[in-house]
Amino acid sequence: MAARTEQDVVRSELRWSIVVGLTVGAISLAILWAGLVRFINPPSNIETIDPNSVHLSAEFNEANLGTRVENGQVVTRVVATQFSFAPQCVVVPANRQVTLRFTSPDVIHGILVTGTNVNTMVVPGYVAQVHSVFRKTGDLLMPCHEYCGLGHSQMWATVRVVPEDDFKPDADGRALCEKP
Amino acid sequence: MSPEDSDRLWIRSSIGVVVGVLAFGILSGFVIMPVVQGAQAGIDPWTAICRALGISPGSPAAQQPRSAASGVPVSNVIWSPQVLNTLSSAPADAGRELAVGVCAACHGELGVSTDPAQFPNMAGQSSAAIYKQLHDYKSGARINDTMQSVVQDLTDTQMAEAAAYFARRARPPWDVTWVRTAGPEADRLARTGDSARGLPACESCHSPAAAGPVETPVLFAQTPQYLSVQMRAFKSGQRRSDLFGRMRDVAGKLSEREIDMLAQYYSEMR
Ligand code: HEC
Ligand code: HEC
Ligand SMILES: [Cu+2]
Repeated sequence: MAARTEQDVVRSELRWSIVVGLTVGAISLAILWAGLVRFINPPSNIETIDPNSVHLSAEFNEANLGTRVENGQVVTRVVATQFSFAPQCVVVPANRQVTLRFTSPDVIHGILVTGTNVNTMVVPGYVAQVHSVFRKTGDLLMPCHEYCGLGHSQMWATVRVVPEDDFKPDADGRALCEKP
Repeated sequence: MSPEDSDRLWIRSSIGVVVGVLAFGILSGFVIMPVVQGAQAGIDPWTAICRALGISPGSPAAQQPRSAASGVPVSNVIWSPQVLNTLSSAPADAGRELAVGVCAACHGELGVSTDPAQFPNMAGQSSAAIYKQLHDYKSGARINDTMQSVVQDLTDTQMAEAAAYFARRARPPWDVTWVRTAGPEADRLARTGDSARGLPACESCHSPAAAGPVETPVLFAQTPQYLSVQMRAFKSGQRRSDLFGRMRDVAGKLSEREIDMLAQYYSEMR
């Protein structure tokens, strides 16, 4: 349909304005609906941590990393650092809520667990927290998805989801990945 | 309708639409959204609007599950701006007396060791790396009888000065009569790593230009003996003061053969 007169051009512009207007309107409505009906809002809880002394902090020192059951709640702590995750493998039970807590001592990293809703940035100076329930058992890949330096593409770890009955924390509540 | 009339209509209605969208945005973002969401959280409408506008502060951060468990830190070094500043501003020769008087017996006056297979060369090493190791020997994070007794009475400033002194000495040169023997496999591991094993290239941290961890030592000019002993110590966990297990992870993934290969490769680097 070639535009012959100026009137044709105006009409075509009008049509497209309507399409754009409707699209923007639909997206706005979706946002309003999420906010007003579902009460969804961006995470507003900001937790800070001194990035220089992460390894000395009570929470993220090496001995306290990995999975631990605290007051019945499964909490997994991971430090994302150039160019690895510490620990390299974490074990979590299937079908139970797991709280994942991450921080970085050096640069911005990103974390995602394949096939799950776990996906967040890990920014030095802050603690990133995600809740999730893992439904499928097996080893899931957890790569760094934010370029963090020359070793970025070798930076990945494993989340081992085990059936609830096989999840056996020790007396201190800690559960470690067993070497396969 | 004349063309002028139609132009005017376009302009007016465009302005109308833009103003309308803006008004709607302000109304929904600063009034409707905060009031409705605030009611849900038990916040009165006026406070909710003030918070949305950023006039009054939001809720204090909620207490998150925080472990009370206290583990043993692997190292007490903190890379605070003060420490880095001391290292970079330490006068080049302030550490000379200590170096010549104490360290020289083993590491050489100019940082070229008397027996490099046992005593690592210091010349041209990064000052942060030297400082970190001295600090770790002192705190007991890295264990070695000889070095622990040497650093026992050193202050932080003395360690920084000794580090700065050695860091500025020239590296031992390459002797033209030596033959390079490390093969391409070592070169590949050193420069590309191995993604399948999650093994980053050594150079991504150890290259002085890589912008990796501050405390990473340069690997030039050590003997293969020293380098392989250290890698095996990381692998077995006997040396464990590397922050976040960075080097223990790497060494743990290397086979015995790869360790020897890489030790040879790096001893041939200058
Ligand atoms: C009696 C011999 C001796 C003296 C004196 C000595 N060192 Fe050492 N140094 C060693 C030995 C042996 C090692 C290797 C230790 C190990 O394997 O942990 C070492 C290791 C080091 C390291 C670790 C290097 C690395 O790359 O891991 C540093 C840094 C160091 N010495 C600095 C010093 C400084 C600075 C002094 C003087 C204040 C000094 N040393 C005095 C024997 C000595
Ligand atoms: C993630 C960064 C990183 C990567 C990748 C890495 N290293 Fe290291 N390496 C370090 C750090 C940091 C140290 C110092 C650890 C400490 O604080 O004691 C170190 C120490 C060492 C040492 C001891 C040196 C000394 O003077 O004591 C050797 C040997 C070594 N690395 C070899 C290697 C080899 C070979 C590779 C490749 C297979 C490699 N590294 C990959 C970070 C890395
Ligand atoms: Cu990363």
